[in-house]
Amino acid sequence: MNIRQAMKMAFKSILGNKGRSFLTMLGIIIGIASVMTIVSTINGMNKRSLEQMEAMGTNRITVSVYLYNGQNAFEEMYDYCNSLGSKLVQGVTPTGNCSATVVYGSKSSAAMEKNQQNMFNGDGTQNSNVALPPSLYYGSDQYGVCNNFQIASGRELSNIDIKNYNQVCVLGARAARNFFDYADPIGKELQVNGLPFTVVGVYAEKDPDSQWSMDNIIVFPYSVSRLLSPGTQMNDFVVKAANAQASVEVSSRLSGFLTGLTNNGKSGSGYVDNSNQWQQNINEQATMMSLVLGGIAAISLLVGGIGIMNIMLVTVTERTREIGIRRAIGAERASIVTQFLIEAAMLCGIGGLVGMVLGTIGTRVAGSLLVHMDIWPSLSITVGAFLLSVTLGIAFGIYPAAKASKLQPVEALRAE
Amino acid sequence: MLVKLKDVYKIYSEGLESEVRALDGVSLEIERGEFVAVVGQSGSGKSTMMNVLGCLDIPTHGEYYLDGTDVRELSDKELSHIRNKQIGFIFQQYNLIQNLNVLENVELPLIYQGINADDRREMALEALERVGLSSRIKHRPSEMSGGQQQRVAIARAISTHPPIIMADEPTGALDSHTGKEVLGFLQQLNKEGSTVILITHDNGIAATARRCVRLADGKIVEDRLQEVDWL
Repeated sequence: MNIRQAMKMAFKSILGNKGRSFLTMLGIIIGIASVMTIVSTINGMNKRSLEQMEAMGTNRITVSVYLYNGQNAFEEMYDYCNSLGSKLVQGVTPTGNCSATVVYGSKSSAAMEKNQQNMFNGDGTQNSNVALPPSLYYGSDQYGVCNNFQIASGRELSNIDIKNYNQVCVLGARAARNFFDYADPIGKELQVNGLPFTVVGVYAEKDPDSQWSMDNIIVFPYSVSRLLSPGTQMNDFVVKAANAQASVEVSSRLSGFLTGLTNNGKSGSGYVDNSNQWQQNINEQATMMSLVLGGIAAISLLVGGIGIMNIMLVTVTERTREIGIRRAIGAERASIVTQFLIEAAMLCGIGGLVGMVLGTIGTRVAGSLLVHMDIWPSLSITVGAFLLSVTLGIAFGIYPAAKASKLQPVEALRAE
Repeated sequence: MLVKLKDVYKIYSEGLESEVRALDGVSLEIERGEFVAVVGQSGSGKSTMMNVLGCLDIPTHGEYYLDGTDVRELSDKELSHIRNKQIGFIFQQYNLIQNLNVLENVELPLIYQGINADDRREMALEALERVGLSSRIKHRPSEMSGGQQQRVAIARAISTHPPIIMADEPTGALDSHTGKEVLGFLQQLNKEGSTVILITHDNGIAATARRCVRLADGKIVEDRLQEVDWL
């Protein structure tokens, strides 16, 4: 008997008992669907986080320093960062948040803040047309380099802007759209805390999908912080290392310098944070989460598999006479084993296919409801889920199939 | 010699107090082309005899040669092949598989022979034609009368053209008219050269065979040639 024949027979026997076959498959369907949904959703989230990390830029090191005695460590740290040289470092920028009200014509960041309350529609979906207030940052002429922004029009901040305390700024793409719609913002004047600032450049868009996007920013020369945030110190820097290897070197050098500057933490505090490390952490966390949650879901698969075994055992008992007939007219033990194994594998396979469809739907629903993302399960997860269910079918079919094949023809024929 | 039983015993629970000797030292030879009826009351050992002759069961002691092959030496797989190719079974309860249709039931032994789909279908249709059922090949066994089901079983038995036809109370579940039809088929098959072994408790049915072997308490008590009651 060849496999095709056996599959035809198995299919007939599954169809011959539709209700029970479906109930048997249910365990596998639920198992496969939940494993797929969980693993795909986590993978999707992970991919998204990594994409954002990627957009922010790799090999990016954040440094922060603060001295307890009130002295400003800014110059020392900035100089040290710049002294590392172009072999190790592509760019350095001081950075810091600025809180100020930005107004252009009838548009104001204060009004946009109120918009945040209208972010969600009544049914929980996002209203994607709402303009949110921009994040305001200080930076140097290397802000773009360090944060992976490219100038789309106009120019980057310059050294001269910084030296001369020029009241200029560069906009992220979304901030530009929120304030100027589709008009060209270059040369226009924004009122920042009542002071006029000229827009000199606009960055290219990196993250078009999100409203809390990294594109909704305005960058001012760090030197104007004395106008916009008087009395605050600049403590933070972003250093863009030349490559992954250099980032390790730079991190360790900066840590060493920081230790010296803060007298090993006695006279100050600070940290050196390598974004590559973050990526690694995100990956590790996602893998861990997949394993834990996927493992829990896999238990339901296991239970489903045991259900299959149970039903196959019942089937063998019920069909003892059929087995006897088949043996009497010449079926070898191997043919009986094949028949029952294929039947179990097919039950699980069909269950797996249905589970895959439900898992895909589940992933889409979980993606949009839980994490507001557009996630499709990856091909490898889909194919893997199907293979897993067929394997389960075979694994849990072995015992019933062996039992069926061990029946003696005479005994089996006598069964009612 | 097609079938040769030599001093065959089939003993259940041997050595225990509950020991049962279903076959108690049976020797029997059947030539190719014979029509033999094995007759006996229930409990006489005739079903055990059929199981042993049909290679469904192995004797406890004694020798069984089928077409010169010592059956006791064969593996389970080889026994399967013998049942498949050498023997066509006809049972009292028809023993058709309920979720397969008529054609598929008749094709089943051919499937286990590994014959390809086209030849298989042709051979099965030919067998069904011989029993007069070629118009009902898509029916399920449950949709047919007892007589028709037994004819399907006969078609299944002859589809592989086996040298031996083994019928165990083939008329037991049928009325006398359809019973006669079935026995007529067996006589017809015998005329065409098949060796037919008919197991029955009914002397009237045994009368359709040329040779009558009578069993009692696991022993052969009579083995004679007789006038045939042609149907």
